[in-house]
Amino acid sequence: MLKLVIKKEFKTALRDVRLQISGSILMVLMLTAVLVGRQGQQQIAHQRAAAQEAMYDKWVNQGNKHPHSAAHYGQFAFKPKPVLSFLDVGLDNYTGISVFLEAHKQNEVLFSAAQDSNGMSRFGELTAALILQVLLPLLIIFLTFNIFSKEREEGTLKLLHAQGLSMRQLFMGKVWGTYIMVLLFFLPVIMLAYFLLDDQSAALDAAVTTKFIGLATGYAVYFLVFVLLCTLISAFAKNSGFSLLSLLGLWTLSCIILPKATANLADKVYPTPSEFEFRKTIQALVKNGIDGHNPSDVRLASLKQEVLEEYNVEKIEELPVNWGGIAMQAGEEYTDQVYDQEFSRVESIFKDQNRLSEWVGFINPYLAVRHLSMALAGTDFHHHIAFARAAEDYRRSFVKRMNKDMETNHKPGVAYADYKVGEEMWSSIEPFSYELPSFTTILSTQWRSVGALAFWLIGLLGISMIYAPKISRL
Amino acid sequence: MKTLFHILPFEWKSLWRSNLLKVLLIVVLGAGIYGIYIGKFEIDKQERRIAEVQQYERQQFDSLLIWSQLDTTIAENKSKYALAMSPVGVGWTKHFTYYVTNETPALAGLCLGQRDLYPVYYGFNVTDLARQVNTGELANPMKLLTGNFDLSYVIVFLFPLLIVALFYNLYASEKEGGTLSLLQSQPVGLGMILVSKGLLRVLIVLFLATALLLLGFLLQGISLAQNVGLFVEWLTLIYAYCLLWMGLMAAIIWMRRSAALSAMLGLGVWLIFTLITPAMINLVVQSKKPLPNKANVIHTVRALNDQNWESPKSFVLDQFYEQYPEYNDGDTVDFNKWYYASVTLLDKKANALKSSMEEQISERNALLSQWEWLAPAAMVHERLSRMSGTDRQSHLRFVEQVHLYHRDIKNLYYDRIFAGQQFTMADLQKLESGL
Repeated sequence: MLKLVIKKEFKTALRDVRLQISGSILMVLMLTAVLVGRQGQQQIAHQRAAAQEAMYDKWVNQGNKHPHSAAHYGQFAFKPKPVLSFLDVGLDNYTGISVFLEAHKQNEVLFSAAQDSNGMSRFGELTAALILQVLLPLLIIFLTFNIFSKEREEGTLKLLHAQGLSMRQLFMGKVWGTYIMVLLFFLPVIMLAYFLLDDQSAALDAAVTTKFIGLATGYAVYFLVFVLLCTLISAFAKNSGFSLLSLLGLWTLSCIILPKATANLADKVYPTPSEFEFRKTIQALVKNGIDGHNPSDVRLASLKQEVLEEYNVEKIEELPVNWGGIAMQAGEEYTDQVYDQEFSRVESIFKDQNRLSEWVGFINPYLAVRHLSMALAGTDFHHHIAFARAAEDYRRSFVKRMNKDMETNHKPGVAYADYKVGEEMWSSIEPFSYELPSFTTILSTQWRSVGALAFWLIGLLGISMIYAPKISRL
Repeated sequence: MKTLFHILPFEWKSLWRSNLLKVLLIVVLGAGIYGIYIGKFEIDKQERRIAEVQQYERQQFDSLLIWSQLDTTIAENKSKYALAMSPVGVGWTKHFTYYVTNETPALAGLCLGQRDLYPVYYGFNVTDLARQVNTGELANPMKLLTGNFDLSYVIVFLFPLLIVALFYNLYASEKEGGTLSLLQSQPVGLGMILVSKGLLRVLIVLFLATALLLLGFLLQGISLAQNVGLFVEWLTLIYAYCLLWMGLMAAIIWMRRSAALSAMLGLGVWLIFTLITPAMINLVVQSKKPLPNKANVIHTVRALNDQNWESPKSFVLDQFYEQYPEYNDGDTVDFNKWYYASVTLLDKKANALKSSMEEQISERNALLSQWEWLAPAAMVHERLSRMSGTDRQSHLRFVEQVHLYHRDIKNLYYDRIFAGQQFTMADLQKLESGL
């Protein structure tokens, strides 16, 4: 009996001309988004990889010079374009692309694409994510808004009931019938997207298949949640018109209005500090010490005392090692502490802001799938931080190498201009490489979104089971 | 005309009694007021940042003025006095950090535009700008992506939805409610009735738009008297935009389909014009015209800097004197002259590269604008932000101002540096007057 209902729902949907038209438009949009998106993503990925290589080349071929001059000459880190970003571009246009790595200071990741575009860019890019998150639910609304009211208006609901079909069976039959229809749109395109991945993608991100499957599953659950929600509302709506209106209202609220309102509210609840304040704090902490009672000149003096005692000499000139190298490295390590403290303070404010909208996922499933999708596509805030951290770690390690070389090999008494190292030294520093966070790391940051989707699915299934028998009484 | 006035009150009554209108009014008014409030909140935040920076600059300059009066016969005053009077600074500490702020335009709070993507100030000393303007403003990218819930958003996104909701069943409700044949039996033509029903809705929408804009001025404390021109410009554009949507809805009603189908068609048109076409244009332009790699500017500066440091001083000064003969006194060994000549040369090169990149970027943006007509929502939003001084062009104009200011103070500094002189009190006063 259930199978019969599923088959009937599926077939009616398939024969509906309006659905055929809107479905084909959706299909064309999806194909364009996936194909053009993949092409654009590959182009950007290639451009950034080439830039990274070219800049490393400049580093290796910078000629002979003092290691500290080389640390000032610096290196660059370019953010690799995540493989799955063609499915969900996420924050990619709003976060910086590259960062200049030099001695003494942690620079910002700069040059977001949005800064170089006019206002049009704020309307977003056509990606599979936009279509799946926003447009497909509309299709579900059109499929389901009169799924019960039509039976009621045509008087077939009582007939079905009289034939011994339980309302639960009828309800689930309609749900599965619609869901299969939705999968018919979703699966071919998502499979095509999978075939667009190549060996190179796996080389860039070892977990790409797992992430892809996670992404597809997330969307599949989201659609089921939407189908259940719409079918439930349409089952208890007075008539088709009311059902359509309330579903569209719900869609506008959850997909258009609420996400914006939530993000703007989060900024109010957890205020963002200003860049100016941030920079001044860092300067002050470096100058006066993290605890405020350890100014830089005192730190330097005590370091000097320590080093002199360690080598058991009276004066700097008598040291067998280069004092400048030691002092510089100690300075780096102190500022690193300050940077770590201040950068993570700001990051945690942003994480708090984002967490607010992750929690709202329990009220609005759109936000849950949005966060999950971005995270799995590698384009959320956590990924941006992971890149910035990796770049900073790289900076610290090569600057340390330069300082250490100066400490041991730049002998006291030799002038700065007379101590030089060359290509052998530069190429001993490995090029910057950054590995995308693993699947489990992503899930650990996204448990709220996963939980919200599960909550919606289980909750709606439960409500359907309890209330389905009452459908016939209306 | 008489029949029109006869029908209007009746139609208003029946509309008012439907819950739909009340819900729509509450949602749109609520969203509008929330948008006005959020816009004010954002602008206040930016203003606070600007004030913070200006206050700091003033404070710093005041201490400079105090230092300039110090008695240099006392040993510990010497370095402070030198910091105040020496155009080259002391050691690695440069003379003074100037701040130029991007003042908030009057209507910025109604349309925040692209302003949240850029810093509202730049801080720089007299050395090269290239390395000093690579700053951002702390902002959560998630918020930048989601965009601002300001009044322009309510108008561009939600008003069309309001129009769809008000108009979709203009004809179908009569037919589906069974009142159509009744109407057709009246002496007044059906066309007339539909037109007056439509007119009422037009009035409601335009009234709501005007009310929200006035509320925006009122709640954000924007002076209407001083910005009458902008008010009229805004209102005209909003009216035109609303009329465009009402025209589209008229076309849908004219097809005389069922209420459900008309609603879907209306929503479909909304989706196409506000979500799909802009997103499609962005997607295509993104893959056709990639953005230049701006890290190259930083690389150019560091490479030139590196070359300058590794070469004899005459390498820089010879080039510099050729380009700026007014500073040529034949000195090719002085460190300070060499240093400031070097930063000028690398700044010049970096700016040239930046301009060529900007050309590439504006070509790309021209392509976006070329297809703008396909996305009226984006077009209107861009126009509103242009009127309000919050678009990308406005930011570029601000950057231009920063360059001009830098050039002005540089002239004074370089006159002193290349003459090997200290600042005079008159110089400091001149610098102060420019703050």
